[in-house]
Amino acid sequence: MSLELLNTLEVILNGLMTGVMYSLVALGFVLIFKASGVFNYAQGVMCLFAALTLVGFQTGQIPFAHLINVIFGTEYHHWSSDITGGMNSFLAIVLTVIVMIGFAYIVERFLLRHLVNQAPIILFMATIGLAFFMEGFGDLMWGANIKPLDLGIPSGGSFWWEEVTRTWATADSKYIGMYIDVLDVWAAVIAVLLVIVLTLFSQFTKTGRALRAVADDHQAALTVGISLRTIWVIVWSIAGIVALVAGIMWGSKSGVQFSLSLIALKALPVLILGGFTSIPGAIVGGLIIGVGEKLFEFWIGPMVGGATENWFAYVLALFFLMFRPQGLYGEKIIERV
Amino acid sequence: MGHQPNINDMLLEVKNISLSFGGVKVLSDISFDIKRNEIRAIIGPNGAGKSSMLNIINGFYHPQQGEIWFNGHKRVSEKPFKIARQGIARTFQNIALFKGMSTLDNLMTGRITKMNTNIFWQALWKGPAEREEIQHRERVEQIIDFLKIQSIRKTPVGRLPYGMQKRVELGRALAAEAKLLLLDEPMAGMNLEEKQDMCRFILDVNDEFDTTIALIEHDMGVVMDLSDRVVVLDYGRKLADGTPDEVRNNQTVIDAYLGVVHD
Ligand SMILES: Nc1ncnc2c1ncn2[C@@H]1O[C@H](COP(=O)(O)OP(=O)(O)OP(=O)(O)O)[C@@H](O)[C@H]1O
Ligand SMILES: [Mg+2]
Repeated sequence: MSLELLNTLEVILNGLMTGVMYSLVALGFVLIFKASGVFNYAQGVMCLFAALTLVGFQTGQIPFAHLINVIFGTEYHHWSSDITGGMNSFLAIVLTVIVMIGFAYIVERFLLRHLVNQAPIILFMATIGLAFFMEGFGDLMWGANIKPLDLGIPSGGSFWWEEVTRTWATADSKYIGMYIDVLDVWAAVIAVLLVIVLTLFSQFTKTGRALRAVADDHQAALTVGISLRTIWVIVWSIAGIVALVAGIMWGSKSGVQFSLSLIALKALPVLILGGFTSIPGAIVGGLIIGVGEKLFEFWIGPMVGGATENWFAYVLALFFLMFRPQGLYGEKIIERV
Repeated sequence: MGHQPNINDMLLEVKNISLSFGGVKVLSDISFDIKRNEIRAIIGPNGAGKSSMLNIINGFYHPQQGEIWFNGHKRVSEKPFKIARQGIARTFQNIALFKGMSTLDNLMTGRITKMNTNIFWQALWKGPAEREEIQHRERVEQIIDFLKIQSIRKTPVGRLPYGMQKRVELGRALAAEAKLLLLDEPMAGMNLEEKQDMCRFILDVNDEFDTTIALIEHDMGVVMDLSDRVVVLDYGRKLADGTPDEVRNNQTVIDAYLGVVHD
C-alpha cells in the first residue's frame, strides 16, 4: 500500500474512534427525545456529573466537603486518610449508576411531572435550567478542580497494531506503522456492547416494548396501561448510564473537567445528520462526523490553516438542514389530514 | 347506597355525567349502565358525544359532574393507565396503534398489565422474565390465530391496510383480557366482508371470553344484530335507552336520528 493510502486509513480509523464518542452522547439525546419529546440540553452536563461522581467515589472524596468545611470550619476532604485508596472501581461504578437513577427520579418528580403537555420549547428551557443547576451542584458536591480519571483501562498507542500495519507499506519506504490509542479501541468496544445490550433490551423485554410504545404513541401507551412517569424515569436512567459511559471515556482521555459538558454541543450536528428520533441515525451520524472532521482536517486543513475540527461538523449539519432536514434516518414529517 | 362494594350484575354504571369544554357542553346529565357480559351499543349522530363518553370511561376526559362505578367500586383514581390496569381496554375511532412496531409486539404490549416481573429480571432475560415472556407469547399467538392475522405477525403495523389495522387494534385490546372492552367505531371505513368478519369477532369475544363490550357504531344493521341494549345520545343528551327493538320503535329516536338519512 502507498504511504498516502496508509495515512488516510489511519485518519479514518481515528475518526471512527472519535465518532463513537459523539454517537454515545447523541444516543442519550435520542433516547430522551423519543420517549418524552424533550430536547435534553443537560445531556452533556450529565456526562460531566456522572464522571465527577465516579471520580469522587473512586478517590474517596467526601461529597459537599467544601460546603461542610466552610460551615463548620473543618478540613475534611477524603473519608479515608489514604488519598489513593477510595473505593474499588467496580463498586464506584455501581454506586454512580445508582446516583444517576436517583437523579432520573428527581428530574421526573420535580421537573417533568409539572411540565406535562407543555410546548417543546418550554421543556427545552427547563433542561437548560437543569444543565446550569447540575453544573453548580456537581461543583458543590465534588469541587471544581480538574481530576484525572483512571479506571485501569489501558491507554497509549498500540505497538501490536503498529507492527502489523508497518508490514503493509511498500517494502522500501520507512513507514513506522499506524497509531491507534488502545483507550479509543476500548471505548469503541464498550460503546458497541452498550448499544447491543440496549437494542436487545428494547426488542425482547416487556419494559423495552413499553419504551418503544411510549416513543411511538403516548395516548395508545396510556390505554394499554403504561405509566408515562415510570417510563420517563427509566429513560432518564438509561440516558444517565449512557452519559456515565461517555463521561468515563472522555474523562479517561483528558481528565474530568468542565469542558466535558461541551461535548454535548458536538452531539447537535450529529443529531441533525442522524435525525432526532433514530438510534441507528445517532450512531451512523456520530461516525460520519468523527471521520468527516478528521479527513477534512487531513486533506483541507493544511490549506486553510488548520483547526477545521472546531467548525466542520456544524457546517456539515448546515448543509444537511438545507437538503435533508429530517436527517439520514429521521421520519419525514407528513401531516395527515 | 353504602360504601360496601356493590357487587351486582352491573359491570359499569355511569351516573349523571356532565362534561363541557370551555363553554361548550358536550354531555349533560347522562346516566346509563352496562351489565356483565352484554354488548351495549352507544349510537347517535356525529358530534353527539359518544367518543367523549368512552374517553370519560377510560379516563382521558374528566367530567365536571357525575360518578363512574366500575365493578362495584366508585372510581377514585382517574389516570388512564390505572384504569387500564383495573380491566378496561379500548380501541379508537381513528386507530392508535404503535405504528413502528410489529403486530406481535403491539399485542404483547397490550398484555403489559398482565406481566409483572421486575426490570432487573428482564434485563437478564432469564428465570421469571423468560418464563413470563413465553407464557404470554402463547396467549398472544392464540389471539393472533383467533383474529386470523398470522400472515402479518411480523409486519410493522403502520404498513398494513386500514381494515387490518383495525383488526390488530382489536387484537391489542383483547390481549389485555379486560373485563370491559370499549370499541369506538370498529367497523368504520370497512367493506362489507371486513365488516362481517369484525361482527363475528365481536360476537365470539363476547361468547368465548365472557367479555363485556361497549360499542359505538353508525351502521344500524350492525347495531341491531350485535347489541343486547342500546343507548341513544343526541347533542349531549340521552334520547333513549333499551333493547334494539324498543329503540327502533321509539318515536323521539325516529324523529331525531333514525328518520333522517345518516352517512
Ligand atoms: N378535547 C376536546 N376539546 C374540545 N371539544 C371537544 C373535545 N373532544 C370532543 N369535543 C367536542 O365534543 C363534541 C362531541 O364529540 P365526540 O367526539 O364525542 O362526538 P361523537 O359522538 O363521537 O361523534 P362522531 O360520530 O363524529 O365520532 C364535539 O362537538 C366535539 O367537537
Ligand atoms: Mg366519535
